[in-house]
Amino acid sequence: MTDVALSRSGARLLRGFFLLVVLFLYAPIVILLIFSFNNNNIPAFPLKGFTLHWYHQFLTNPELQGALENSASVAALSSLGAVALGVLASIALVRRRFRGKAPVSAFLLSPLVIPYLVFGISLLLLFQAVGFPHAVGHWQTLLRVVIGHVVISLPYTILVLMPRLQQIDVSLEEAAYDLGASHLRTFRSITLPLLLPAVVSAYLIAFTTSFDEYAVASFVKGTLQTFPIYLYAALRDPYQLPQVISVAVVVITISLIVVIAAEVGRRVAERRLGAL
Amino acid sequence: MEVTSPAEGAPRKRIAPSADLTTPSLLGLPLAWLVVFFLVPIGIVAAYSVDVLHLPITLGPHGFTLQAWHDFLHGSTYLGLFWKSVKLSLIVSAVVVLFAYPLAYYLALSGTKRKYVLLLLLIAPFLTSYLLRVLAWKVLLGDEGPINSFLFSTGLRSPDHPLTLIDTRFAVMLVLGYIWLPFVALPIFVSLESLDRRLLEAASDLGAGRLQAFWRVTLPLSAPGVFAAFLFVFIPTLGEFVTPSLVGGTSGYMYGNAIVSKFQTGFPDWKGGSVLALFLLGVVGLLTVVFARFLQPKQVVTE
Repeated sequence: MTDVALSRSGARLLRGFFLLVVLFLYAPIVILLIFSFNNNNIPAFPLKGFTLHWYHQFLTNPELQGALENSASVAALSSLGAVALGVLASIALVRRRFRGKAPVSAFLLSPLVIPYLVFGISLLLLFQAVGFPHAVGHWQTLLRVVIGHVVISLPYTILVLMPRLQQIDVSLEEAAYDLGASHLRTFRSITLPLLLPAVVSAYLIAFTTSFDEYAVASFVKGTLQTFPIYLYAALRDPYQLPQVISVAVVVITISLIVVIAAEVGRRVAERRLGAL
Repeated sequence: MEVTSPAEGAPRKRIAPSADLTTPSLLGLPLAWLVVFFLVPIGIVAAYSVDVLHLPITLGPHGFTLQAWHDFLHGSTYLGLFWKSVKLSLIVSAVVVLFAYPLAYYLALSGTKRKYVLLLLLIAPFLTSYLLRVLAWKVLLGDEGPINSFLFSTGLRSPDHPLTLIDTRFAVMLVLGYIWLPFVALPIFVSLESLDRRLLEAASDLGAGRLQAFWRVTLPLSAPGVFAAFLFVFIPTLGEFVTPSLVGGTSGYMYGNAIVSKFQTGFPDWKGGSVLALFLLGVVGLLTVVFARFLQPKQVVTE
């Protein structure tokens, strides 16, 4: 049987193109990796020998570590909030009938399309308008960024949670009700355990979204240094470039591993749950 | 934006109403959060831009004035910059879709067994840090960066005349294309994947060659995915400011940079900046509403 969509030589051509594009996508990352070990102040050829100096430098840079810690706190808190709100919203959208569902879901997803800098400005004006403490304390500024990141991450968590919830057989929940369990009890003992893989991926997506977010944070941060804000400033300073490159390599590598592990884990979990 | 009506996959039997976890109690918190921290702030920007509200909030009669809007619409500077950004985003989106289509076509229709592995390989870079990928290009494109120094050391270019790569419009387009390419393949892949292959066989049975079948069956049927892909790039790049400020220099300056500079430079003009921001929001909102049916999230959810 001949394939109508693609001739054999066409398939070969497309495969070549695909490989070229993959090369284009990964080459900059590989080049960063090479220069992160290069014993030279500027990232340029020819290479000048192997060094771990830049890694050592960033590991002992307190400013950078403070920024990483701040970003980790903001991401941990905001994704917790976004996932909690996302679970509530997804249950309502999937399991409940109510009037105006379409506009409600459109509203819940609308932060996806707003330009983040416009949202950052809006949040800044809100905090100014109500006199939310600006440079008062570390936790207040942290909270300002967390509030914004919950808004940004919420639609992503809903998009991850809803399809999974739709797959879970509703008769399992109905059986629990028939046996006298309350909605809350059913959620805790039936729905949540089945939803857990999606909850984990939603959390990871929200976490990485927040960890990498620059635009909103740059408007509401006050004196807070988050990792993207530190990076953005460091990029304008050539002396910092080599150690910034080594940080970049570490962060990109970790996130690639997390992304692939999460995807593989999700597939394994879904196969197992699919048997239910 | 709209989600597939949950009624489709939803329970047929009615779940007995119960005191806990009622619909209002489920939706209350998420909706309240978005109203207070998303809708109200935008309203504040709008009120501020027409002088109805002053910061910090002072109640009392303020004069409603459209002065800031008038200045914006009648001064050519910002509208001109806006059109320049529209053009740049259009070019980037078109080129990226053109590149992504064959990739998606290969994954969806070549019959390769590892298509999900390859798809993950393609998309994984998109899921890593945006800022760090821009950083990679800032390093690569520098006057003394890897590309130029490689050209110097091979003698293809003399160090006195490096290739001008950084701080150009081209750099902005290249980096934006690099960033969005993996993601854009996704909606096209989803639309090609859901294509009924019997249609292609029917076309072939009726005497159509591969090219004709492509033009008259595959391409029209994948058009919604292509259009969605286009919008998925166009909408965010229109308000872009990080990439142009890092690799664009003055010639790559975009509308988003103008907005930021109204707030974050030595001579702040928040009122003017609010007008610029609201105008961008209006355009993006209009595009979203008009093309809502192409922007459904299911377009990027595989399986």
